Amino acid sequence: MSNESSTQKQGNSPAIEVAGLAKRYGDFEAVRGLDFEVMPGEVVGFLGPNGAGKTTTMRMLTGFIPATDGEARIAGHDIFSDATNARRAIGYLPETPPLYPEMTPASYVDFVARLKDVPRRSRKEAVERALGRCGLLDVRGREIRQLSKGYRQRVGLAQAIVHEPKVLVLDEPTVGLDPIQIREIRSLIQGLAATGGQTVLLSTHILAEVDAICQRVILLDRGRKVLDQPLTELTGGGTSLEEVFTRVMTRDEAIEPGAEGEAA
Amino acid sequence: MTHTLTIASRELRSLFVSPVAYVVLTLWSVIAGTFFLASLIGFQERLIQLQQYQMFQQIELMNLNDELIEPFIGSMWVILLFLLPAVTMGLVSSEKANGTDELLLTSPISIWDIVLGKFLAGAGFVTVMTAIVAFFPAILFVYGEPELGKTISGVLCLLFVSITYVAVGIFASSVTRSQLIAFVFTLVLLVMLGMMLPFIIDISMAGSGLGRESGIAQSVRWMSTGSHVDRMLKGLVDTADLAYFVISSAVFLLLSKTVIESARWR
Repeated sequence: MSNESSTQKQGNSPAIEVAGLAKRYGDFEAVRGLDFEVMPGEVVGFLGPNGAGKTTTMRMLTGFIPATDGEARIAGHDIFSDATNARRAIGYLPETPPLYPEMTPASYVDFVARLKDVPRRSRKEAVERALGRCGLLDVRGREIRQLSKGYRQRVGLAQAIVHEPKVLVLDEPTVGLDPIQIREIRSLIQGLAATGGQTVLLSTHILAEVDAICQRVILLDRGRKVLDQPLTELTGGGTSLEEVFTRVMTRDEAIEPGAEGEAA
Repeated sequence: MTHTLTIASRELRSLFVSPVAYVVLTLWSVIAGTFFLASLIGFQERLIQLQQYQMFQQIELMNLNDELIEPFIGSMWVILLFLLPAVTMGLVSSEKANGTDELLLTSPISIWDIVLGKFLAGAGFVTVMTAIVAFFPAILFVYGEPELGKTISGVLCLLFVSITYVAVGIFASSVTRSQLIAFVFTLVLLVMLGMMLPFIIDISMAGSGLGRESGIAQSVRWMSTGSHVDRMLKGLVDTADLAYFVISSAVFLLLSKTVIESARWR
């Protein structure tokens, strides 16, 4: 609808802009003043140990929870003042795929297409395309509750891409899957970025995953950004991602012993 | 508006494939049939008795509406208090349990779309329940001559009460992620609202010096559904009673919306 204006300037303006984003739960600071940008078409890995604030940040970006402080824009739309348009521009796969077990993949994806304002004329086509891309055409009429975990994850992904969002936010898309399923989901995400030109922000704590699909890494630790670099620069000198990761994390712990006291 | 209907139609389809819905509808039909048959037999026996004693004046006074349809719908209303919580318990709580609230709340829709969608779906379901009850008095029109206006007023009364209770159920379902807790909470609210309030106020007013007809006593009695149901079952369709159903539905829907919204800020 009103996405026209943002399409024009999308050439060089970031798909995700985050400035000073913060989330406090009482005294606990889950995310503290986060700043980063993601350019259109980039695949960025959100990395960090459990409890680093990855999920919280993603939930703020998608509008599930309000931020305590700071600003964020999705495809040029402010997530507070222009929430509806920002939400239309996002496809979101939460940590647990938000599925209705009694529905079939086809009816479920159609339901989501309606929620996301896919125009009536192109809805059927959009649903078919999303099911096709996620390899769900064979199971389209089965109940979601009967599907394996890998297939459910695909349904979750189909739900996230049905309205062809500019930005895809995927929270641990491969967690709990077997190695073959992981490979399938990864190649699916790579395919989306390559053919759909979508911007992908994906969180994980599996380093190999970042190696496999991301172009850039943002490392979070205790709500702070501790690293933001293209993957080629990071591993260019022959060092593995794991080495970089361990080095940054230990340095971080050594630098601010007061952080624990501050948070408590 | 489109989003409200999207939510409502999805919810309604899910309701009708859930085993709970079938258990409720089966129980509801069986209970309705049993009650109806029992009151029909009772009616007939009284008629025969009166004929034996040749009390023709009493026979003149007996009619199907007052002696059969009204008590029948009245008892179905009581059954409703106990069965409806099973229908509404999952309306919002299951979204939280499934994690689908994360989908709804990150979609370009408003919280009103969610609440009203659920309300419409619940209203659709209780319309089916009311239609099942309405079927029995309808049979009487084939064999006897009940008053049409009174009968319709009774059926409408059951429909309005059910819809109001759906709003109560949505509220109870929105405060928890457990369907069991939602069930119990709805049951407590409905029993309070439907039956207990007048008794509680009578007891506590008798203890205090205020008396049973004080302003508080009367307003609490107004809050209970019982008195409105009684009048409407007798065929008295009053704007004040209709306003009661509209106002209490609106209040509980507003509460649900507030609860869902505030959950995001925690």
